Amino acid sequence: MTTTRRNLFKLTGGAAVGAMLTPAPWRLITDSALWSENWPGIPRPRRGEVTFQFGNCSLCPAGCAVRARCVANQPVSLAGVAAHPLSHGALCAFGIAGHHLPYHPGRLKSGPAAEANQAVRAALGQLRGAERCAVLDLRPGRTASWTYRRAMAAIRNGVYLAPAAPIAINLAAAKTVFSLGAPLFDGWGTPGNVIAARDHFRLIQAEPVESRTAIMADLWLPIRPGSEEALALGIANLLLKEKKIAGLPAGFADRLREFPPTMAAMHSGIGEQQIAALARELQDNGPVLVLGENGSPYAAALNLILGAPGRTLVLRREAPVPDDWKKAAPVADLASVPDGSIRVLLIDESATGEALPWSAIQSKLAEKAVVVTFAWSKEGYGRQAAFTLPTAVYPESLDDIPPAVDSPAAAFRLSAAWVAPPDGVVNPADFVAGLAGLAAKDALQERAAAIRKSGRGSLFVPSSATSTPARDVKPDDFWKMLQAGATWIDDLDANAPAPKLDVPALPAGTASSAFPLVVVVTEPDTPALVSPLLSKVYQESNLRLAPESVALHPSDARACGLETGSRARLETDCGSVAVNVTVDSDVPPGVVQVAGGPGIRKICGASSRARVVRS
Amino acid sequence: MRIPGYIPFAVGALTALAAGWAAFPHAIYQSRRQPVDFSHKVHTTTAGQKCDDCHAFRADGTFAGIPTLDKCAGCHAAPMGTTAAEKNFIDQYVTPNREPQWLAYARQPENVYFSHITHVKLGGMKCETCHGSEGDTDSLRPYQQDRISGYSRDIWGRPAAHSAFRTEGGMKMDDCVDCHRSHGLTHSCLDCHK
Repeated sequence: MTTTRRNLFKLTGGAAVGAMLTPAPWRLITDSALWSENWPGIPRPRRGEVTFQFGNCSLCPAGCAVRARCVANQPVSLAGVAAHPLSHGALCAFGIAGHHLPYHPGRLKSGPAAEANQAVRAALGQLRGAERCAVLDLRPGRTASWTYRRAMAAIRNGVYLAPAAPIAINLAAAKTVFSLGAPLFDGWGTPGNVIAARDHFRLIQAEPVESRTAIMADLWLPIRPGSEEALALGIANLLLKEKKIAGLPAGFADRLREFPPTMAAMHSGIGEQQIAALARELQDNGPVLVLGENGSPYAAALNLILGAPGRTLVLRREAPVPDDWKKAAPVADLASVPDGSIRVLLIDESATGEALPWSAIQSKLAEKAVVVTFAWSKEGYGRQAAFTLPTAVYPESLDDIPPAVDSPAAAFRLSAAWVAPPDGVVNPADFVAGLAGLAAKDALQERAAAIRKSGRGSLFVPSSATSTPARDVKPDDFWKMLQAGATWIDDLDANAPAPKLDVPALPAGTASSAFPLVVVVTEPDTPALVSPLLSKVYQESNLRLAPESVALHPSDARACGLETGSRARLETDCGSVAVNVTVDSDVPPGVVQVAGGPGIRKICGASSRARVVRS
Repeated sequence: MRIPGYIPFAVGALTALAAGWAAFPHAIYQSRRQPVDFSHKVHTTTAGQKCDDCHAFRADGTFAGIPTLDKCAGCHAAPMGTTAAEKNFIDQYVTPNREPQWLAYARQPENVYFSHITHVKLGGMKCETCHGSEGDTDSLRPYQQDRISGYSRDIWGRPAAHSAFRTEGGMKMDDCVDCHRSHGLTHSCLDCHK
């Protein structure tokens, strides 16, 4: 027998055919696929003892209590704490996925801290005349905020800037809640508290779209987009027929005359009789709370007319602070600072809060101003600042969370610090305190001691679901319990005076014909807060608008000569930006839905009306 | 001698078939011995223990899986017999307080979510339904690990050759789907691959 090349080919061919009839090649393919999913370079969660830890979520001012399931001390899943007196066990989607944030692809892990420190110190040494050093704190009321205030008091021409704190709301005292498009069940206040109070009030929601809040309302008034003010003025007109209320802004009566119920009905699309019935109901079924957009003068005016101050709007005491902290700089509004006067600006955006448009900040900056921002992601003011210094992110940082808007009593709770932050992060409070030569490392513990010393309030311990009067807790235990997720809640002050409700001046004009569309921002202001997993799924499903794009109802698109895919300019009274257009019949007529993107945020930040022009 | 043209082809095919069906299913797995020669039978018969005496649920409902040394040392603080396995266990693990590195036959990969309490307490299933008659064995069989994927033989891979005749339940995805299907239960991907 001879071995020929032909026979070798036949043998190989036979082997190949035979092999195809065995499990071997198919198994090798699937096993290789599995190996590619599990190869050694892929990080794996650690295995270890399963434990549970308690803390508080610091992603937003709600500060919901959180129970973390940890494996080998690494949080692997988060849930609410059912017995918690403030959050009642609720946790939003962001909160549930909060432990992913330290691994966000946009996370900052290192920054030029030494260079920033040097630049700030040099600029402080060159302050001329009335030039200022300012700290802009996006979430005031924290212990870090007090550190900033103390530091600014110690630095020449130091100014502490923060958004004005809203008046606290006692939702439990409300019998009727009239909402002018407020997102009561879409993340407003403390979600668990709102849900817990829901059975005790009647909710009337005036909103153009059938939002989740509208669905959960007792009565949904599907008003026309942008007609909230017309409806509020129509109701005020009826309520004020024979009454005079002190504190209403100048021009309110004139505006009322412009808006008799007939006019309000025409603008809002709600029948005149229904508006009259609504006014009667608000008058008869108190205490009433009127909620509107942040700083809405119309909601504030209706609250004043309906006697909300002292009943549903309350004056909340602040959690005690050590006496020597009280020599601190006052809280100032950015608008009160002269233009071109800030030489050094330090922005703390490590804790999210109410962001101000950059255009408002920029005008206050002096020539050669040094801007340093403290942030954990690439989003935000980092685009404009000279230095962006990375900070710890939830759940890495131990920080306190001031009470939410719907908390009638002061509260003190600490965010969780379950994950070690990267080596390169900077503590903003320590940075600012260092500039003023203050020692603020133990500020949280000092404040906790001051709270305990006051003897006020009670301490809720999540692990045992019990509340103990603060005065009955040993000082050392008080701090330890706070670190273990406990919440101090102040006593309600029965003798507190009614808060003074400053109704802002009414803006000139109503629905402007120059800007006929109402701007609806569909993206959160802080998209970086979204877990990258949630964001990926959401984006890939094509359910949200891409950055720098807008959506219009077909009738509005036709009126503007636009169709899906058109390039256009979105114009507001703050400027204009190039956008892509999507036509979507789910967008209500009269509305322009805008997505995120720096250009859009810049021009829509302070404006609620716009027009879209074909480019 | 001239050989017919089909013979080399047939030889190649038969060799590949034999290798693929008889040798490959063994060669793909690497066998590893357990650290301790443990007898389930002694514990369930002589000691009269039940499965959940050692493989218990925690207070929060999660399944503890293989017991830790603390649990074993509760009874085996001192030797309970004169066997070599017992002496080895005491000397190597209990006395130096060293945790045995058990190889878990049933450990599912990271992309699988499985709740024991749902199946045992809610579904009323017995341990043997999935784990087979492990409780009657006198010694631990070798742990067989897929050389490429790294998965345990008990949880991954379609049965090939002799293992096709296995009759008891299993812990492979097909076993889960078959059981859910036969009981009229849902079996969507996201039930297990969350």
